[in-house]
Amino acid sequence: MTELKERTEKQERVPQNGAIISIAGLNKAFGENKVLMDFNMELFPRENVVILGKSGAGKSVLIKCIIGLMLPDAGSIKVFGSEITKMKTSDLDKMRIRVGFLFQSNALYDSMTVRENLEFPLRRHGTDKSKKEIADMLHEALSQVGLAHTLDMMPSELSGGMRKRIALARTLILKPEIILYDEPTTGLDPITGRGISQLILDIKERYGTASIIISHDMNCVRHTADRIIVLIDGRCYAMGTYEELKRSDDSKVKQFFE
Amino acid sequence: MKNDVLRNFLLETADLSRFAWRFFREALRPRYEVGEFLRQCFFVGYKSLGLVGITAFIMGLVITIQSRPTLVEFGAEAWLPNMVSVSLVREIAPVITALICAGKIGSGMGAELGSMRVTEQIDAMEVSGTNPFKYLVVTRVFATTFMVPLLAIMADAISLFGAYIGANIRGIVSWQLFWAKTWDSVFFSDFFPAFIKTFFFGMAIGIVGCFKGYSTSGGTEGVGKSANAAVVIASLLVFIIDLIAVRITDILNLN
Repeated sequence: MTELKERTEKQERVPQNGAIISIAGLNKAFGENKVLMDFNMELFPRENVVILGKSGAGKSVLIKCIIGLMLPDAGSIKVFGSEITKMKTSDLDKMRIRVGFLFQSNALYDSMTVRENLEFPLRRHGTDKSKKEIADMLHEALSQVGLAHTLDMMPSELSGGMRKRIALARTLILKPEIILYDEPTTGLDPITGRGISQLILDIKERYGTASIIISHDMNCVRHTADRIIVLIDGRCYAMGTYEELKRSDDSKVKQFFE
Repeated sequence: MKNDVLRNFLLETADLSRFAWRFFREALRPRYEVGEFLRQCFFVGYKSLGLVGITAFIMGLVITIQSRPTLVEFGAEAWLPNMVSVSLVREIAPVITALICAGKIGSGMGAELGSMRVTEQIDAMEVSGTNPFKYLVVTRVFATTFMVPLLAIMADAISLFGAYIGANIRGIVSWQLFWAKTWDSVFFSDFFPAFIKTFFFGMAIGIVGCFKGYSTSGGTEGVGKSANAAVVIASLLVFIIDLIAVRITDILNLN
């Protein structure tokens, strides 16, 4: 009940037009290689947006710019109405508590157990929490991904799919309002990949999160997307639902659905 | 080609200087990662005790055995404990300790942080609202800065014990006589400058190890290169700092 109240209060801080992420005129280049050129998009509450594009199209660069891991060359990125390209590090850290990030490589801390991996963000941002509260939060996050029994295991003892789920549990532990998924099903077998896609939907239903999902796994795209943005030549080339884009006559869009 | 080498050297030096400056800036600001610092002290100090101890013992033993014939030739065999103890305390034990730490700890830090960089663990720390520089770098550099001097003191003691054993292999020197001669010849002015320079050795090893690891790129190949470069640069810096320290003690007439 308290959690619901907190979430409602947080959502009241969402800007007037309803978008919790607004990107306008984003440009990013690495030397001569222009990755993003005048890219625009918006993300609304409780919405899953999939960014679809070829390898090297700049999809991961885009979400790394959103979370402040990379600085764009030009353009504006507003998260919860605040311009992140001009934020101080302390404000950026506060914003990052509200935005979770699932890395393609999972990025679990090798030297820590699953418990320590999950406790790490909690201990740094939830210092007022008692041991019991922390234990309850760990249990809830791990139960959500179906791996409550792995608490004292090391990441090296887990399979690829389990590591992905643990990384997701670590992302969930601070109860973010937005989750950025960087290729969540890459490197997984189709069955495990479907499980992860279902988990993304379950998380949205249970916690009311909005998500940006980077993927070129069409099963995951079909399963999770409310809206798809096709990223070609650094621009938002096409946008629509899965069914709309599947019916497209544009050869560049069609190639993803064949 | 020559220009490229020079340019890369200057760029690397500039990056290392910036990294060191950032360390001092971040070290002064809260939050202080005491728990991680103590954990790193355990890894840097306690986990290096065996290697440093064995090496120091062998160094003391070998130097005594090697020095003995020359002193015998000049009829100065009785000066063996004096000469060996001054050499060990002033120079050999601190430098050998630092070189072992450069190899073991510097490469370890280069590889560990490098692998964390290429597997996005450092980015994960950053997106969870943690300052990875403070958590990973500041704690490690402080740990090497404080642990290398302690290891050097231990190396002094163990190498002197090795020297005592070495002195008794071909001759007979009593325990009391050996230590009496050692304390007669080793003064505070021998020990103190050598002890102070080990702080700088430790800091250099920590900064270089962390710098190479933190700035790793190029996947697993990059991790190997970082670990290797950390050892090479840290060892070189140990000798350069030693040279500067010896010149300073010489100028200040502390010898």
